[in-house]
Amino acid sequence: MIRNKIMKPSFKIGINISRWRVFKDARNYQILYLASFLIFGITQLNWEISNLQLIVVIGLALITQFLWLKWCEKPLHSLKSALITALGICLILKSASILTLALAVVIAISSKFLIRIKGKHLFNPANFGIIFSLLFIGDAWISPGQWGSNAVFLFTLSVLGGIVLHKVGRLETSVVFLGTLFLFEFGRMYLYQGWEMDVLLHKFSNGTLLLFSFFMITDPMTIPNAKKSRVIWAIILALLTFSLSNFMQIYTAPIWVLFFMTPLTVLLDKVYPAKKFEWLKKSIINN
Amino acid sequence: MMKQFLSVLVLAGMSSVGLSFCGFYVAKADTKLFNKTSQVILVRDGQKTTVTMSNDFKGNVKDFAMVIPVPEVLSQEDIRVVPSSLFSKLDAYSGPRLVEYHDQAPCYQPEVFYNYAESVTTRADFTSEKLTAMPTMQDYGVKIEAKYEIEEYDVLILSAKESTGLRDWLIQNDYKIPTAADEVLEPYIKNNMKFFVVKVNADKMAQMSGMNKVKKYIDDPNMDDVKDLRPLQITYNSDKFMLPIRLGMANSTGEQDMVVYAFTKEGRVESTNYRTTKIPSNKMIPEFVRQKFGSFYVDLFEKAHKEEKKEAIFLEYAWNVSPQFTGMKCDPCVGPPPIFTDLKEAGVDWALNRTNQASNDVFFTRLHLRYARETHPQDLLFHVTPNKEHFQGRYIITNAYKGDVTCEEGQKYCVKVVKRRVDELENLEDLTAWNASEYKPYVKEYYNKLDDPSLMNRVEADPQRNEGLPIFPTYSNPNDHIKRVLIIGLLSLLLIMLVLREIKREIVRRNFGAIYRI
Repeated sequence: MIRNKIMKPSFKIGINISRWRVFKDARNYQILYLASFLIFGITQLNWEISNLQLIVVIGLALITQFLWLKWCEKPLHSLKSALITALGICLILKSASILTLALAVVIAISSKFLIRIKGKHLFNPANFGIIFSLLFIGDAWISPGQWGSNAVFLFTLSVLGGIVLHKVGRLETSVVFLGTLFLFEFGRMYLYQGWEMDVLLHKFSNGTLLLFSFFMITDPMTIPNAKKSRVIWAIILALLTFSLSNFMQIYTAPIWVLFFMTPLTVLLDKVYPAKKFEWLKKSIINN
Repeated sequence: MMKQFLSVLVLAGMSSVGLSFCGFYVAKADTKLFNKTSQVILVRDGQKTTVTMSNDFKGNVKDFAMVIPVPEVLSQEDIRVVPSSLFSKLDAYSGPRLVEYHDQAPCYQPEVFYNYAESVTTRADFTSEKLTAMPTMQDYGVKIEAKYEIEEYDVLILSAKESTGLRDWLIQNDYKIPTAADEVLEPYIKNNMKFFVVKVNADKMAQMSGMNKVKKYIDDPNMDDVKDLRPLQITYNSDKFMLPIRLGMANSTGEQDMVVYAFTKEGRVESTNYRTTKIPSNKMIPEFVRQKFGSFYVDLFEKAHKEEKKEAIFLEYAWNVSPQFTGMKCDPCVGPPPIFTDLKEAGVDWALNRTNQASNDVFFTRLHLRYARETHPQDLLFHVTPNKEHFQGRYIITNAYKGDVTCEEGQKYCVKVVKRRVDELENLEDLTAWNASEYKPYVKEYYNKLDDPSLMNRVEADPQRNEGLPIFPTYSNPNDHIKRVLIIGLLSLLLIMLVLREIKREIVRRNFGAIYRI
């Protein structure tokens, strides 16, 4: 064994990197990227999230997930999903109150275990937590403008998002969603209203929209299982987002639409049945 | 059903743009006027928006005119003229402030104490313009929806079918409009916006100016000096909460500044399509900045603006200004906080409720942005957040003790002053990009007072006076205990259920273990 390693040149290790267990799980990439966006936001964009808020939100997410996993007697590897949910909430939901964020994350994780159909949780947990806080807690909000339109950063965000999705195999959802939305906005703003192209591009260089497209609507656990139904689903999502943001002035439209699209996911899964997504193949878990 | 749904969409689409002061100023003849800084008061309550536009137009009032897109045909009651003093009051109250501390004689009481404040506010410089003759209708697809005389202003509300028609009509009626104007007008027309066109009624203006003589004898603060044009205020209902800055850019090259004073019930106002960030605040700066605080802040803003890639919107002030609010209204107060009459004039009609009780929910936000065509292609969209955290642009000066520092404590004090002044200069360079090394004597002054320079290595600097002050009232939410109960309750319930289950299993295992083994 040792002899082998010495004899083989080191680039072999580089090539084999994707065979390592750590890189098999797309969630690891997601955690890495979301955490770096959060660090970027706090250090470069002066977001007001205190360290205490971060610790409480992430800690509570893990504790809640741990307790639920114990209760449902499931393997602990899905603690990672809790971390993703916690990071997602820190990135999107704003509140001056630490308790609001804490409650949002506890509710978000619990929703995964309480609201299920056929072994699949219904709502994207971060989305559920966010909508719950906006509706019932009152002192939470979303800042759609918080990312600015720093081109380099947004580019990185999309590329990294693309890599994760490629791994999970849900890239088409983001592409269809963004493409449909762009087509409609192009028709309305550029062709009909006569705005210049940069007005349209500015609208699309919104970090919240990209983060949503690459990291939220692509959660394989809460979107339709079959490829065909995911495309239909993404088109409907884009149409509703377009209508809500242009005609009702709801600038956080995608997050609301995603929430209320849940019944459609269930329906589409019935019409186009397909195998449920699993983060890790059984064999890897058992390793 | 479908028809109903469609009509809702169309209606919602129509009620778009609010207006901005930044409407666009149409210059007549070759008067080269340039709108540099504009001030706007926005009051938002549900769908109702009241916009007040400052009017610092200097020059012949006959040359004044402005065009502003509005979401609906306004009725006469929706258009008001308010005293110009309202803007200066709000500006003075919410402007960036300088706080001053004085060190005490180190040889007697080695403590720093006490503060009093002084401030300079940067004045906004804004100019507007131009005039027009009374319109004559031709076949331009332009329709006069309403025509009002509001104090010194003549107001027309126009609707148009296409932008070239509107442009031609404006030109025909003696408005000189920028060549690119029709391109900018197009999207507003497509959005079914109306155009609010204003000019000054010179005769009325002359009558009103006569009031100045009366004012000399009757000292009534409500009697406004009408020599200058007063701010116009309009109220409308629209689900869109925005300012159409694009129109203002049609006749202006380069960057323009805008200060927005917003009043809401819920909390801070922020932009949804540009990043809103806080202006650097609570920094210790050198004593000599006192004399040039104005230019200090101008340069600070300039640097912050550049560092944010010229596109962020800066929060300069956020405070609960409710008449009922018992906490500090500012720290320190630069100008008196707005009172009932100011709030009422601004359009905060909930300042007093039906039973004449003072309201507890008037939140004030001051935003400052510098915009240009390249960096701000989209109109400004806003939303109201429930964020009630206070904020102010505040800079701190500490006056060193000038007297005897020969005693041992005094020598240590000198070291601290030297170190503090170094920090202050670093902060200054950091904030404004002024070259700090030009101010060496500022540091040397106290270094020269040291008998033994090696003391520098033995005495530590005092911590910077920044985050500790001012103490913002912590905002406590009445629902906090419910949240706590929910969080702790849910988690402990889960834990108890888990423990109970384990105990039950343990009992089962002990009692029936034998059976399992078989």
